[in-house]
Amino acid sequence: MKRWLMLGTVLALFSPIFAQEDLRQAEELYRQGKFSAALTSYENCLKNYPKDPFVYYNIGNCYFKMGSKGLAAANYYRAFRLAPRDADIRHNLELTLAAGGERLVPAGVPVVLHKLFFGLSYNELKGLVYILFWLTCLLAWIGLLRRKLSYWTLVACIGLTLCAGWLYARGRLEQENLAVIASPSAEIRSGPGTNFPASASAAQGHLVTIQDEKDAWYQVILPSQGLRGWIEKDTVEKI
Amino acid sequence: MHRKLFLLIAFLGLATAAVAQVVLSASTDKTALSLDDELTLSVEVTGISGNVTMPQLPSLPAFNVYSREVEQSTINGRTTLLFRYTMVPRFVGNAEIGPITFSYNNQTYRTDPITVRVYRGNAAQTTAQTAAAHAPLQADTQPDPHLPPLEAALSKQAQAKAGEPFFLVAAVSNRTPYVNEAVSLSVRFYYSRSFYDAPYQKPTVSNLFIEDEGSVEGKQTIGDMVYHYQEQRYQLTAAEPGKATIGPAAVRYKTGSSPFAAFDRLFGGAAVSPDRTVLSAPITLSVRELPAGKPASFYGAVGSGYTIKAQASSDRVEAGQAVNLTVTVKGPGNLKATQNLTFPALDGFKIYPAAPESGRIASSARSYKTFKAVLVPAASGIYTIPSFAWSYFNPDTHAYKTLQTDPLTVTVVAATKTESGFNFSNAQVSSNGVQALTNDILYLKMIHAPAENFLVKAGRLYLVNIAAIVLLVITFLFAVLGRKKLVRQKIWVHTKAQLKKASSAQEIADATCTYLAQRLDIHTGSLPLKDILATLNRHGIAPATSKAFAVLWRQLEAQRFAPAGFNANNHAELAAYASRVLKQIEEELK
Repeated sequence: MKRWLMLGTVLALFSPIFAQEDLRQAEELYRQGKFSAALTSYENCLKNYPKDPFVYYNIGNCYFKMGSKGLAAANYYRAFRLAPRDADIRHNLELTLAAGGERLVPAGVPVVLHKLFFGLSYNELKGLVYILFWLTCLLAWIGLLRRKLSYWTLVACIGLTLCAGWLYARGRLEQENLAVIASPSAEIRSGPGTNFPASASAAQGHLVTIQDEKDAWYQVILPSQGLRGWIEKDTVEKI
Repeated sequence: MHRKLFLLIAFLGLATAAVAQVVLSASTDKTALSLDDELTLSVEVTGISGNVTMPQLPSLPAFNVYSREVEQSTINGRTTLLFRYTMVPRFVGNAEIGPITFSYNNQTYRTDPITVRVYRGNAAQTTAQTAAAHAPLQADTQPDPHLPPLEAALSKQAQAKAGEPFFLVAAVSNRTPYVNEAVSLSVRFYYSRSFYDAPYQKPTVSNLFIEDEGSVEGKQTIGDMVYHYQEQRYQLTAAEPGKATIGPAAVRYKTGSSPFAAFDRLFGGAAVSPDRTVLSAPITLSVRELPAGKPASFYGAVGSGYTIKAQASSDRVEAGQAVNLTVTVKGPGNLKATQNLTFPALDGFKIYPAAPESGRIASSARSYKTFKAVLVPAASGIYTIPSFAWSYFNPDTHAYKTLQTDPLTVTVVAATKTESGFNFSNAQVSSNGVQALTNDILYLKMIHAPAENFLVKAGRLYLVNIAAIVLLVITFLFAVLGRKKLVRQKIWVHTKAQLKKASSAQEIADATCTYLAQRLDIHTGSLPLKDILATLNRHGIAPATSKAFAVLWRQLEAQRFAPAGFNANNHAELAAYASRVLKQIEEELK
């Protein structure tokens, strides 16, 4: 029993070193230009760290170097959702989207405002709203017991309302079925089948919003162009 | 003395004889080769002096001879001439190089014929052996049983017309080619007599591209007649599947009828025969469509023995300097008709493709196509230009085959001068001399992301929200509903304390009235006892308690209106009594 405890302690102490080792090996492959092998290594790493934005970022880098800018954009977007304040992730995402004619910051929106809006990840924002709610409850509780609600209770209520609105807006974006064109080009058809004429084609890296699906087809909207149509599932990568 | 003289004469005589002996030999550098290979035929003549003529090569229908070299060396007055002929085979099968003749001092020397085996593609035996043929031999006029198909077809047609002094035959190497597969067409004009002015008219073709491949001359014995012939060679490629036709070729010739025919012809005399025309038979090809399953890197080439090679003009350049990338494809058929190679985007390079070049390899049935692109690296580093894929269809195996170039490595060092001569779209020069060359993604993250912060962790505690809501509701309910009870308890406690402290009837009365007013909302200022009791009844106070209250009330009134009859003991008793009555009321109100 004592031995097992000691082994467990040693493993716990060295697990961060083991975790960094797999990243080091993948980085070595990437540096040698073996992007495909590096990608495989990072994807294995993702099994142990499914919520690590840096692993998504590195996967995006591998895809970018392999010329798959659509898949690169999808992975940068996943990393951005988890760590929106990271400047490297934002840079690479903006660069990749720009290659596909897309923008991270919508036209007309100040960059500062965009950065403020994405200052916290969705999970962080949810935590903030929870904490504000608990604070408001506490202050109300004290006020009720003391038969006098304090000024701070009002401030907490206003803060909670604003943050709840912010969370709601971010939640709407999170629930948006965003996807990116992953094949070199994709045809947008008027119906879910190749017998329907292609009304437009989109290059890889374009963002689309999935509205519906039927068999092997998605009904999508291209927000940047305002186009609507059907696209083969194989040609897009859901974010 | 005589003996010495005799020996000297004998030595000189033997030496002269040795010098005068001429030896002719022929050899090839290999006995087996593929269609892609070259064959070197070496003819060596030794023991000659003075002016000599060239050796006479036999007819070589199975080869294209495109290079000749002569090497001369003289040792001890003996001259050796070495003639080297570089040849490319035309057909698969056994190819024979007939006897080579050499005339010197009115004597003719001949070599043995040499047979080499020609294989398709790269299937040639790698252990090609050097063959040599020495010693003179008589010419062999027997037909070669291993003739290639085209030659066999021409010979068969010629045999059928044996005896005619002039005739024209045409044959193709393949009657059922695939689209864009190279087909050889030979048109051969046989003549056994001299002729004057024989203009040739090439055949017309439909659904075919035709390219001239030059002409050869030769001699052939058919039956018991010796014919000379002139052969015109073409290469055909079909553009579309279906029928393709080759019309008849024609030769219009005139023959002379007298030894002075040339003069007679010059002056328009009748010694020259009228125009006669010989035609070849038309040929129809059935062009097959290429099978499905074309690879993405298939650009239309059909044949076998293709090669591809990629080459960079330099493997070390400065950033901003150009590297010329050349990809060359060689192989049979007309590569000009194939589509152009698509250069993929290369990370770190700007690519400027140039127009491809194509043409025929000299004296060969093979052609080439060269694709060029100028690569301009944007920044320093070690770059790998990946391999390029190029596919062709092999009609022998009926399958597509893909060739790959070797990847190339280019080392790019930092530019030593800022003027690159190229306009980078993303380049920006700042005032401090730093030039942005290109926009690339940032490097990898070398560590895992930091652990989740407290906000993320708090976001998971949704059960706490429920607890907070429950607590708030409880507090609210407690605050709203428990308030009256608290107030009531407070009134009774306060009244009890006042009664305990009361030292006069007035204080007892005030405490009682305050209790009634606050607890039961009975304002006793001008209210008769009867109304007070009625109100008590409405609040559910028992009649006995009401009666006790009436006693208390009357005693208080009596004390108020006749205080003289009461002492301190009476006050204490009254206060105690009031306390008991009000306590009873309080309990009953609960």
